[in-house]
Amino acid sequence: MLKIENVSKDLGEFRLENVSLEVQDGEYLVIIGPTGAGKTILLETVAGIYPPDSGKVFLNETEITGLPAWERNITMVYQDYMLFPHLNVEENIGFGLKNRKLDKEEIAGKVREVAEIFGIGHLLHRYPDTLSGGEQQRAAISRAIVLEPEVLLLDEPLSALDGQTRERLRTELKKLHSHFGTTIIHITHNFEEVFSLADRVAVMNQGRIIQVGGPDEVYRKPESEFVADFVGVGNLFRGTCQVGGAGSVVDVDGHTIVTAECADNGEVSVTIRPEDILISVLPLDSSARNTFRGRITGITDNGTIVRLSVDAGLQFIVALTRQGWTELALSSGDQVCLTFKASSVHVF
Amino acid sequence: MSRLRQDWLRIITIAAGLVLAGFIVAVLLLVVSHPSPEAILESVTSEEIRFAISLSLVTSVISTIICILISVPSAYALARYSFPGKSFVTMVLDLPLALPPLVAGVGLLLFFGTTAIGHALAEIGLVFVFTPLGIVVAQVFVNFPFMLRIMRSTFESISPRYEYVAQTLGCTNFQTFRRVTLPMSANGFLAGSIITWAKGIGEFGAALLLAGATREYTETLPISLFLNMSCGKLELAISAATILIVISVVSLYIFEKFGGSARL
Repeated sequence: MLKIENVSKDLGEFRLENVSLEVQDGEYLVIIGPTGAGKTILLETVAGIYPPDSGKVFLNETEITGLPAWERNITMVYQDYMLFPHLNVEENIGFGLKNRKLDKEEIAGKVREVAEIFGIGHLLHRYPDTLSGGEQQRAAISRAIVLEPEVLLLDEPLSALDGQTRERLRTELKKLHSHFGTTIIHITHNFEEVFSLADRVAVMNQGRIIQVGGPDEVYRKPESEFVADFVGVGNLFRGTCQVGGAGSVVDVDGHTIVTAECADNGEVSVTIRPEDILISVLPLDSSARNTFRGRITGITDNGTIVRLSVDAGLQFIVALTRQGWTELALSSGDQVCLTFKASSVHVF
Repeated sequence: MSRLRQDWLRIITIAAGLVLAGFIVAVLLLVVSHPSPEAILESVTSEEIRFAISLSLVTSVISTIICILISVPSAYALARYSFPGKSFVTMVLDLPLALPPLVAGVGLLLFFGTTAIGHALAEIGLVFVFTPLGIVVAQVFVNFPFMLRIMRSTFESISPRYEYVAQTLGCTNFQTFRRVTLPMSANGFLAGSIITWAKGIGEFGAALLLAGATREYTETLPISLFLNMSCGKLELAISAATILIVISVVSLYIFEKFGGSARL
């Protein structure tokens, strides 16, 4: 288990402020946050590149705060691969094994085994600058995982890759995690990676960790406006809450939204995920407590998901599948009904 | 004639470059072509010039090695670490580059000739004043900034993340330097060594003051050029000059080819 306790580090441009985090053995933790949030410093501090200004780091109950990087067995992969250009793929992957004083054949065997798992077995004699981005990143991950590290740190490992390669490598990371059972901390600013990979997710901003939880929990129940904005909730309103008998009511600029979960009366923020809102031409006969009438003001179509802006007094964002959209046969300016359940309304 | 075609800025600047290049080529050709090829050949094989060649080679190779040994670590420190007084140290280490070599020579002469340290070194047999040893010291003092600056820019061009990765893979920082940083600096290292060596071969002013100009004792190629020119032996002087020109051209070529990201 990796435990980070009240770690602070100021590198001028980037900083960490009082970060505490626990990562269980074999867990896949994804840290998400905008550029400059301090995500990379956090990984580099865990790796032992530099000491924290204050706070402690524990690995399996042993304090490693002052231990140099080379004695930690925590390996790291950067977004831009950092393969050693003067070594071929085989020498790159075997780089760390060479430090462990293994004999040549043992190193070659381990390197080959890992390279085969990643499908780069045929590239062992090539030099990094002759490889594609995906191949380079596979080599870089192989180089880190072949040491069977206590923790594997991935700093935006997929960000430099094109769409298709990224998706394939994402699947491979998942397989790799179940195959080796390695504890992984993975940094990203892409929410898709959170959903497909993470056991838990931590959201970082301005050097602090602001929310930790399951991906679904963070996605549906952001604890702050920053998280809501950042994970792209789409519908974020502010209003005043009235706790009532059958559920609470939030008043947003004179419009009422029924929710299940106001803690007490007062100023609140409300989020509704765009895919939790049903859209129809006629009012739906359902148990859902919230119904709005409005007009479609904008349509964005990214090929698989269609996102609509609907002006219903409040500005709503609604997401639906392409197929659903085609079946509705609507266009901009049409009158529609929006329906969503009280339980889809998250209040914080 | 369209005014758009008549770009005077372009014409004037290119002309300036061409005239300058033409002048340099003319000067060098004049030196090389002044005596007959036979006369040059004869001079080059003369005992005096052969002595000058071998003394130049030996002193410049030794001084280049010393420059490497002192410049590589200092360059790494300046590229990677921050420490109190860093900007002052950086400026001082570059100073010999701007200093007239004659001034450096006077300083070295005073240091080795008049101070207690100089006398102590002489006591144990390290005599630098008016000896070939002085040539080496003069070359090192004047030329190590070349190696230092090239290595510093080379190290700076290598992302420290390569070193971080090596450390997470189990390399101590010394191992990281040997297995990652140094091999990745190979081109800058080669370019720096070549330019330092070429400057060493041509070093005159500081060497003249510290080591003197004694025929066939502290007579390197530039000293030979100076001595023979002074007493009118034009063939010998020019053959020394020709060799120096060839060395400059070849080393500049190698520097350009391998220099890569290295800057002076």
